[in-house]
Amino acid sequence: MTIWMTMVTSNDDDGSGAERPGVDDADTPSSEFLELDHVYEALGHSRRRYLCYTLLESPEWTLDELARKIAAWEHDVPEANVTDQQQEAVYVALYHIHVPKLVEGGVIAFDAVTETIRPATNAKQVLRALEGMGASLDSRQEAHARSDPHE
Amino acid sequence: MSDSRGNNTAYGDAPSKKSDPHWRQVAQRHYDPCDEVELTTAIVFAIADAKNVDPTALTSPQLYDCIDAAALEDTFFGAGTLSKQSTGTVQFRYDTYLIRVDADGWIRVFEPGT
Repeated sequence: MTIWMTMVTSNDDDGSGAERPGVDDADTPSSEFLELDHVYEALGHSRRRYLCYTLLESPEWTLDELARKIAAWEHDVPEANVTDQQQEAVYVALYHIHVPKLVEGGVIAFDAVTETIRPATNAKQVLRALEGMGASLDSRQEAHARSDPHE
Repeated sequence: MSDSRGNNTAYGDAPSKKSDPHWRQVAQRHYDPCDEVELTTAIVFAIADAKNVDPTALTSPQLYDCIDAAALEDTFFGAGTLSKQSTGTVQFRYDTYLIRVDADGWIRVFEPGT
């Protein structure tokens, strides 16, 4: 973003108003900046962050597995102690809001028949952002999402 | 958008009174932001009640295709809204049902009357 602003300023300073080769590029933020929207959208809820962290651990999950893992994290209990009610509440939220949101952002693909998620086109970018923040902001969540459920 | 008292925001041809002959209330559920259950989940549970099915069996459509429940949760129940005593109603369709969410946390599910 900083780079873009600098380029616009220097363009204004020119004052001539003349078109120059490459000026069009400077007027428009590169697609890399604009396309960060889906990264923020994807990571804007703790359950979606958790889901994305699990993709770092394994590329394919069923909604049932994910719901159990997330419920265990939220209630701070081992997965074996998650109640059906707790799992169901998370499952419903994943199914009706978080998964469709991530599908819309091109972060994951969802197979409605097997109820399985796997990474899609934009997953790499989101996971890279997550890995960048994991060490400082979200390390406990990341560690839990990436832990062996049977430990 | 507003009723005569000016404190109610509604969308669509939703029931404005309980006696509305076109819609019959079939389920209701209270959403409490302190329960750590998402509004999406509470709405789906209410619709499942109305259909008399397990919430996990309610697969089509996804609520996401009907309403941005996260935005609604933010508007009615997000940080700061409790102290503002926010009022309002949002109504939307899910399948053949009409869902009404009030700022006081009540979710009501209506089906077409006969």
